[in-house]
Amino acid sequence: MSRVWIIKSILLLIIITLMIIAGAQLYEHRHFKLPIVAGQGVTKVAKLSDYAEGVKETVADTNVFYLEGKEKGGKMFIMANTHSNEPAAILTALIFVENALVDKGTLIIIPEFNNSAGRNTRPGDGYPLYYEIPTEWGSKKFRMGNRDASPLDQWPDPDVYVHYPDKQLLSFLDVRNTNRTWPGRPNGPLMERVTYGAMQIMREMEVDIAIDIHGAETMFPVTNCIVAPEKSMRIATMTSLTVKAREKFDNHVEPSPSGFRGLSHREIGDYSDTLPFLLEAPLPFLDQPTGPKTVKLLLDGKDPFLLSLSKKRKLFVPYDETGWPMEKRVGQHCSVILEIIRQFSRKFPERAVELRNVPRYADVVKNGVGHYYHDPDKVDKAVVHFN
Amino acid sequence: MYLRIGIILAIMVVAYSLAKWKNLSVELSMLSAAVCGGIAGAFVSTPPIGQLARHLVEGAFTYLDVILVFSTATIFMAIVRESGGVNYVVRATIKYFYNLRIIALILLMIIVLIPGALTGAGSVSLLVVGAPVALALGYLGITKRRIAAILFIVAGLSAAAPPVNIWAMILSAGTAIPYVGFELPLGIPVLILGTFTVLFLGWKRERTMDLGEVLKEMPEVPERMSWWRVILPFLIFFGLIVASRILPFSTPILGLPLEFVIAALVALLVSPKKIKILELSRDTMKRLLPLLATMVVVGMLQQVMTATGVRGLLSFAVISTPITLLFILLAVIIPVSEGVLTYGGAAIIGIPLIWFLDSIGLHATVAIAGLSLLWPLGDGLPPTALIGRLSVMVSEYKDSYWTFLRSTWLPWLIITVVGILMIKFSADLEFLVRWSI
Repeated sequence: MSRVWIIKSILLLIIITLMIIAGAQLYEHRHFKLPIVAGQGVTKVAKLSDYAEGVKETVADTNVFYLEGKEKGGKMFIMANTHSNEPAAILTALIFVENALVDKGTLIIIPEFNNSAGRNTRPGDGYPLYYEIPTEWGSKKFRMGNRDASPLDQWPDPDVYVHYPDKQLLSFLDVRNTNRTWPGRPNGPLMERVTYGAMQIMREMEVDIAIDIHGAETMFPVTNCIVAPEKSMRIATMTSLTVKAREKFDNHVEPSPSGFRGLSHREIGDYSDTLPFLLEAPLPFLDQPTGPKTVKLLLDGKDPFLLSLSKKRKLFVPYDETGWPMEKRVGQHCSVILEIIRQFSRKFPERAVELRNVPRYADVVKNGVGHYYHDPDKVDKAVVHFN
Repeated sequence: MYLRIGIILAIMVVAYSLAKWKNLSVELSMLSAAVCGGIAGAFVSTPPIGQLARHLVEGAFTYLDVILVFSTATIFMAIVRESGGVNYVVRATIKYFYNLRIIALILLMIIVLIPGALTGAGSVSLLVVGAPVALALGYLGITKRRIAAILFIVAGLSAAAPPVNIWAMILSAGTAIPYVGFELPLGIPVLILGTFTVLFLGWKRERTMDLGEVLKEMPEVPERMSWWRVILPFLIFFGLIVASRILPFSTPILGLPLEFVIAALVALLVSPKKIKILELSRDTMKRLLPLLATMVVVGMLQQVMTATGVRGLLSFAVISTPITLLFILLAVIIPVSEGVLTYGGAAIIGIPLIWFLDSIGLHATVAIAGLSLLWPLGDGLPPTALIGRLSVMVSEYKDSYWTFLRSTWLPWLIITVVGILMIKFSADLEFLVRWSI
């Protein structure tokens, strides 16, 4: 055997070894099962496919948690993991699923809205595969997903995505982005079927408020805010002013642009009677000029590059040595959601939603996010749900 | 952290330089940089050593979609060429426009612009129409060096041309700016700069030949070849793209790779002579291998740079630059980012840059259009040099790569100035966006 062949054989062996190691890790990531403990307030767990036949028996199908009060009232819908690389969303949603007790009205929660994106990674962007949240009983492991659904579940991409029904041209990647495929259609690409399913929930259940939870870069102008269309603006403004006055954190209001199609805060309002809100908390991990993309950065949001840019006034949020820890982000989301409910219930008392046992900003900052999660090994298996 | 990341960056640069010094190819040199950078990072757990294999493999898949488009488009064009279609088109162009030089040059420029404008990839322009256009330009008396230069600049502009501009789409998606209103801010400069390029580089006739002599010298065309045999595969390809635009909700999503495969099958069916498809596909892929390897390794490099913080450091350096200096440096930063990271440059540098420019009162859409003119220039720069290498390949230019690149200096300079001025005066040019909508 010549020297070249020996070198080629060794290289091939190295490549096969790398592929096996990486393949096993990526396979495990895609098939990792996140246990979600349904709290006492959960009255029913349905599937998205109950509302959209098109997602049945696909990876896109996902659990829908219902928390129904004894007294009739309004209906509220919370979505998390629309972008599965914005973890404060699912962490907030789980606090509600595991703890909220609804006295009046109904709360509907989809913690893993883009289930396919949750099982996807982001080639080129060097994300960690998992992150862990410390709790009193150990730590709860979460899978780090991607912004877009996996091409394993929806492929091929078009050369350009033509938004339904407005025909606006969007990036080809956005065909797998469930915050560009609203309002969706029953027989479109898989992610359009996901958003269609959510629209059907809102239309069939006569949902009053829809909240889509996100995270955004500190260098992005639309961060640390509530994005709302005209019809939701008054409640959003009152919410922003109240949390600022009572809980001492900023969360300004951004208008939903009418010319930018496919976004939840635009299309939900335009295609149903529901009032949509999109919540953004700062997420330094997503910023481009940061150090290594580590789990630590994801959780504590501390980065020296961002600190330096902050001093040069190049960030859109206040930023100091304390970074933007996860507790702060999740706490903000909890308080803003509770305040939106309160403001809505004050304005429409006949459609009020009343709930308790959900922590506010100061509680989450003080106790940590993990404090509100239950050990799935210590509860009745019947209340542990997997997607 | 600055020092730690700086050391990792230095190790990557040294690994790349050593590999080049040992006469390894660009692809292997970049692979050395990625592996050494990853190992260096693993010493401080960025990334953890147990994750290094995953980062390298995952990064290798970053541009899988582009690789599929390259492969299928090249096989399609190889079939058209093998069937005699390319020679047929070149012969017709020369026959009808040989004595109408300006019209011939502008027509050839538009032929190159169309595939790239529809797909957002200058490489597709070159793979689909590059070879016949290069032959036609050759018969118009233009040297191979200048032909490669024309193809490089015009193919780059085709990628920036509307309706599909991948850089603008990445930036729009990343900055939450709708991908609308780009038609005039992109279309007008692309047409003006393309016309200037093709006339400046193609005006000089290096050798004069009699039309009859040229036609006699040109390669033979198979007897049964006809215009419909040439046009039908292209009609099918563009028909599928146009159908997905006109009837987007009733046309199934096929994706560019399958569209090229369908067009290739049609080309194979209508070919006047028998083509050994397996042999042709194997040879084509062999020829394309260095380019595909580049795309694989760039993805790995990008992933390692992000996991180690090197990418963030570079992005930080750009954003921290004082504004006046930044405008001047854009001429270098943007093309170099494309040369190193291809489309990754738009995400790493472009997204924070647009947010920053937007925050100081510039118009984001026009600024994105301006930046989009600068990125394609980087496709001629190493280590990737995607469009540059393809231009050289399809024009069959054999001399020094740098000599070819040097001959693009004036169009390069003018495109750079126009791009930077569009960014600087983007607020004043906002009417172009309004008129587009």
